[in-house]
Amino acid sequence: MVQAVAPAMIDDATIERSPGYWSTVWRRFRRDPVAMIALGVIVLLILMAILAPYIAPHDPFRGATLRRLRPPGTPGYLLGTDELGRDMLSRLIYGARLSLFMGVTPVFLALFIGSAIGITAGYVGGIVNTLLMRTIDIIFAFPSVLLAIALSGAMGAGIVNGLISLTIVFIPPIARIAESVTTSVRSLDYVEAARASGAGALSIVRKHVLGNVLGPIFVYAMSLIAVSMILASGLSFLGLGVRPPEPEWGLMLNTLRTALYTQPMLCALPGIMIFITSISFNLLTDGLRSAMDIKA
Amino acid sequence: MASDTVMTRAPAAAQATGSEPVRPLLEAADLVKHFPIKSGLLGRSNAVVRAVDGVTFSLYPGETLGIVGESGCGKSTTARVLMNLIKPDSGNVLLNGRAPGTPELSLKAFRSQVQMVFQDSYASLNPRLTVEDSIAYGPTVHGVSGSDAVRRARRLLDRVGLDPRRFAGRYPHELSGGQRQRVNIARALALEPKVIILDEAVSALDKSVEAQVLNLLLDLKEEIGLTYIFISHDLEVVRFIANRVMVMYLGRVAEIGPTDALYTGGRHPYTTALLGSMLSMDPDERTMEAPLAGDPPNPIDPPPGCRFHTRCSFAESVCSAKTPVLTVSGTGHFTACHMVDPGSGHSKAAA
Repeated sequence: MVQAVAPAMIDDATIERSPGYWSTVWRRFRRDPVAMIALGVIVLLILMAILAPYIAPHDPFRGATLRRLRPPGTPGYLLGTDELGRDMLSRLIYGARLSLFMGVTPVFLALFIGSAIGITAGYVGGIVNTLLMRTIDIIFAFPSVLLAIALSGAMGAGIVNGLISLTIVFIPPIARIAESVTTSVRSLDYVEAARASGAGALSIVRKHVLGNVLGPIFVYAMSLIAVSMILASGLSFLGLGVRPPEPEWGLMLNTLRTALYTQPMLCALPGIMIFITSISFNLLTDGLRSAMDIKA
Repeated sequence: MASDTVMTRAPAAAQATGSEPVRPLLEAADLVKHFPIKSGLLGRSNAVVRAVDGVTFSLYPGETLGIVGESGCGKSTTARVLMNLIKPDSGNVLLNGRAPGTPELSLKAFRSQVQMVFQDSYASLNPRLTVEDSIAYGPTVHGVSGSDAVRRARRLLDRVGLDPRRFAGRYPHELSGGQRQRVNIARALALEPKVIILDEAVSALDKSVEAQVLNLLLDLKEEIGLTYIFISHDLEVVRFIANRVMVMYLGRVAEIGPTDALYTGGRHPYTTALLGSMLSMDPDERTMEAPLAGDPPNPIDPPPGCRFHTRCSFAESVCSAKTPVLTVSGTGHFTACHMVDPGSGHSKAAA
C-alpha cells in the first residue's frame, strides 16, 4: 500500500494540483451570461467614471441660460441640457464618479468594520458576543433610510458626513451575517482540530475562519452596493449628501424635478443611470452567489 | 472513588515488560464535566447534563485503550476533556505526571503530544485548504518553517498510503471518506505526538475501508510507538484493536480491564449486557432475546446510587442507595458493581 517514493525527491512540479476554490468560482461565474453582462456593465460604468474628462463632450459645470432644458437629441447635446443649460451627457458621465463612490465606499468600509465586529463576536462568543451583537441590534432596529437621513441631518450635509452615515447604516447587517457565519464555522471539527494542534485564536481565525466566512459576507456586502447607491442618491436628493453644483445622479434627479412636466424624458435620465447601476450590482451578486454555491 | 487503587496499579498488559510498575503516560483523575442547560430569557441554568461524572483511568505507554458505551454515555466528552478542548469542571489530566497549562507543561506543548482524530472526516478538514496545507498547519504553529512543514506533510501522506504527488494538492471534497480519514491521521501525526485519541475515527467508513484504516493504525503504532485511546461504539472493532477496554455508562466508568478478560468474563451486568448485543458468528450461539431493553436514563437527572440499577436485572435496594466504586475484580480489572465489592451488602456479593 505504501509507495516506494523517496519523499525528498518530490518536487513541487510533480504534484498534481486541483484548481482552488476561487478559480472554480470564476469558471462557474463565466458560464452565467446574465452575471457576465452585469459585470461588463459595471466595468463600463467604472471606466466611464475614470475616463470622464476624456469622453465627456462638454464641461459639466458650464451652463448657458439660452439653452436650458433642451430635449434629448438636440444637435451638439446628445442627451439635452439641464435646468441651467449644462450638457446632460457630460453631467451623467461625471456623475458616475460620485455616485459610484458614494455607493461603493460605505459598503467597503462597513464590510471591513462589520466583519471585524461579527467575526470577533462569533469566534469569541459568550459575553463578548452578547455585548457586541445587542449593541448592533439597537442600531439595526432603525429603518435604514430613516437612520441615514437622521445621521446625515445631525452631522450636516456633505460628502464625508454622507459616507459616515451610510457606513453606520451598513455595519449592523454585515456584522449580523459575519457573526452567524462565524458561529457556524467555529463549531466545525476543523477549527477544533486546529485548536487541538495548539494554535492560538488569531492564527485560527486567519487561516481557518477567514477563508470560510469572507466569501458569504462579501456576497452579502455586494448586494448592499445597490441599496447604498439608492440611499446615497436619496440623501443627495434631500440635500443631505452631495451639494450642487457637483454632478451626482441623485442630486440631478432633485434639481431636474421642476422640469418634470415640461421635459419628462430629461428628468428620467439620472434615474435610468441609477437603475442600470443598481440592477447590474444585484445581478452580479446573484451570479456570484450561485457560482459560490459549490456542492462538495 | 477508588481512584488511587486504579491509578497506582498498572494493568497486566502494560506490565509485560517486567515486574516493576510502568508509569502511566496519561492519567485522568476524577474528571467531571457538566453542561448547564440554558433556558428562559436571562439564560439561567436550572439543570445540568452530567456528561462526564467522575471518570478516572490511566493510559500506559504503548497500549490501546478502548472506550465503549452507548450513545450519550460521555465517551466523546471524555475525549474532548482529555484534549483540553473543553475545560473540566473538576478533576485533572496529567501527561507524564504533569498537568497541561502549568509552567512545567504548557498547553501548546501538551497538544503537540496528544492529538485527536475526529469521526467526521469531512468536517475535520478545512475545505479551503489543500491536503498538504491542512497537514502542515500544525507544525507551522509549533515553529516549523513553511517549506519544512510541507515536506513533512508529503512524507506523512506517503506514510499513510496516499501518494503525495496525487493527493498533496487536492481539496478535501475530492477525496473519499477513507482517504480523508488517512489525511486526518497524517495531520495528527504531523506534530509527532505520543498519544492519539481516535474518537469514532473509523465508525463512518465502509467495512472494507475501515479494515484498511485499522491496519494502518496498527502499523503506525508499532512503527512510531504510539499510544491510542480508541473510542467506538463498535464492540468488534474495539476487541480487535484494544489491549484494555473501558466501559462507560452515563458519564461513569462501569468497568475497565484487559480486553480478553472483559470480553470473556465481564463482571459488570452492563458489560455483559452490552457484549451480549454483539452478534455471534456461530449460529449455535444465537441469542433469542434482546439483552438490554430501552434507552439509558436521562443524564440530566441520572438515577441515584448505581446508575445502571434501573435497567439491571440484579438490582437490589443497595444499588439505588449507594454508588458503587471501582473494585478489583481480576488482574488489572476493575468493576464498579456492588456484586463485586465484598462488603457492599448486595446478596450476590462474595462475603
